[in-house]
Amino acid sequence: MSLNEVWEAASAHPYSPIISKNSQFFVGFTLLFAALIFTGLFGLNRSFTSIASFGIPASLAFGFGAVYMICAVGVYV
Amino acid sequence: MRLFAAAAVVCGLLLPSSVVCAESDLSSTRVQLPNDFTPPQVFKNLNLLRNTNLEKGYVRETVDVVVENVDDKPQREYYLPFPADVFGKIGGLEVRDKKSPEKGRFDAEAIETDSSNDINYYVVQFPDALAPSSQITLRISYSVLSSLSPLPATIHQSEQQYLAYTFSAYALSAYPVDNQKTKLKLPSVNVPDYTTTTGLKSGQDPERQGSVYTYGPYETAKVAPGTQYPVTVRYEFTKPVLTAHLLERDIEVSHWGGNLATEERYWLRNNGSQLEKQFSRLEWTVSTYQGFPTSALRELTFPLKPGSVDPYFTDDIGNVSTSRFRPGKVPNRDGSLELRPRFPIFGGWNYSFRIGWNNDLSLFLRKAIGSSGTYILKVPFIEGPKNPEGIQYEKVVVRVILPEGARNVQWETINGATSNGLPSLSQIHSELNDHKTFMDTLGRTALTLTIENLSDEARSSELLISYDYTLWDGLRKPVTITAGLFTVFVALWFVGSLDVSIKKR
Repeated sequence: MSLNEVWEAASAHPYSPIISKNSQFFVGFTLLFAALIFTGLFGLNRSFTSIASFGIPASLAFGFGAVYMICAVGVYV
Repeated sequence: MRLFAAAAVVCGLLLPSSVVCAESDLSSTRVQLPNDFTPPQVFKNLNLLRNTNLEKGYVRETVDVVVENVDDKPQREYYLPFPADVFGKIGGLEVRDKKSPEKGRFDAEAIETDSSNDINYYVVQFPDALAPSSQITLRISYSVLSSLSPLPATIHQSEQQYLAYTFSAYALSAYPVDNQKTKLKLPSVNVPDYTTTTGLKSGQDPERQGSVYTYGPYETAKVAPGTQYPVTVRYEFTKPVLTAHLLERDIEVSHWGGNLATEERYWLRNNGSQLEKQFSRLEWTVSTYQGFPTSALRELTFPLKPGSVDPYFTDDIGNVSTSRFRPGKVPNRDGSLELRPRFPIFGGWNYSFRIGWNNDLSLFLRKAIGSSGTYILKVPFIEGPKNPEGIQYEKVVVRVILPEGARNVQWETINGATSNGLPSLSQIHSELNDHKTFMDTLGRTALTLTIENLSDEARSSELLISYDYTLWDGLRKPVTITAGLFTVFVALWFVGSLDVSIKKR
């Protein structure tokens, strides 16, 4: 099967990203802001339980927020 | 970012990942033959019609030839000869069966012989061997780059420019030709000089009809193959002879951003007549205002795909503000990027610049049916300017930067019923390597395709690439950053829990 046939067969399945281009800044900013709040809360009480309750959400929010924010400013990674 | 990545690796939180194969595929091959090689005389060309188009800044030739197998065995290798000084300038060579072009192009491979040979060959493989006494009609099309010379070589700034083209009235053939004819299509009727042949045919040769000059028909059954009869035409071409010494084209796929970013870097040169005297700004302003034709490049127009946005135009100095962008509309209306270089580019002058734009990825990328995690990308092979005078590319490097972790990369060009301006796949050098940029840990998979001698005929060509890309490949970036920041939290907690007070223990 040639690649052109694969392309034609996949006509009903165009790629669409989870977050559209127009929403990237909002999502990125919200996640980064949430990461900042969680980091602040962790800073108030640096206990082992705070890592689970604030550290993990902050890390996740920062990880995904950073990716969306860099896309929102035009560096498409 | 690198700090995060390093921390994540140290913590061992980075999950095992697939290795991007950076294997190199040297797909461009040449066959080596002995120096005294002459093609076996197994064919005869019954009728040969050569159409030479000189309307652009390069030569585009289409040869229709009826070939008969005169051997007593089936044959499938047909040799195409070119003079040694032209051989390296041939671009986009394509051979098809004229009567059934939808069957696709035939394989054509360059043959390498000793550099002292006057004639070099391409060997064309017929898909099915031609039976004895059978005939096939071939359509051979190719461009000859950098073969037009300005005459005179220096002109005044507002003067008309003339180009000279020298070729053989007898088409070069490895086999005997019974009948042949050459039609020249010139850009204007202003043709001050052309060679008139004597003794090749009865009557006037060439015959003129508007801007079309016809050499022949000649009966050449008794003329030995390889015989040449040089003729020259000199015609008006008051347009720039645009040549891109190098075009680098980057196409970057971003799954996270849903974006296809394109950047093209040009190293342009005008191969027309050089200026006799110094450049006059006043004269240039007057001629521009009055819209006189000129041998200098004033403007370039780039048709862009529908939905193209965020264009930019920069050169070595920085942003060039003399550009205009007319956005297109999805699905059918192309955008248009009109550029005016910082200065008019006269003969012998150079200009290098870069342009770029973005597109929505959904128009170019699809998820393949039947296999999870396989994507297929369809992008233009080259885009480039669309000017009446055309443009020739001495070297084109197309780099498709796929997402980080993409593997099992396969590619092909679309080969329809008409010429796409590209040479056969064996003339395209492909390479797979890594490209590291923002937020990358392993580096992105980059497919680099290199072609020499292209023309703007290849604007209609398209490139298809399929690759595998799993969910984990997509999550590598955020997970790496997450792991990095999590490491910082753990380190903070650990350092904070250390008892460093001064007291008795």
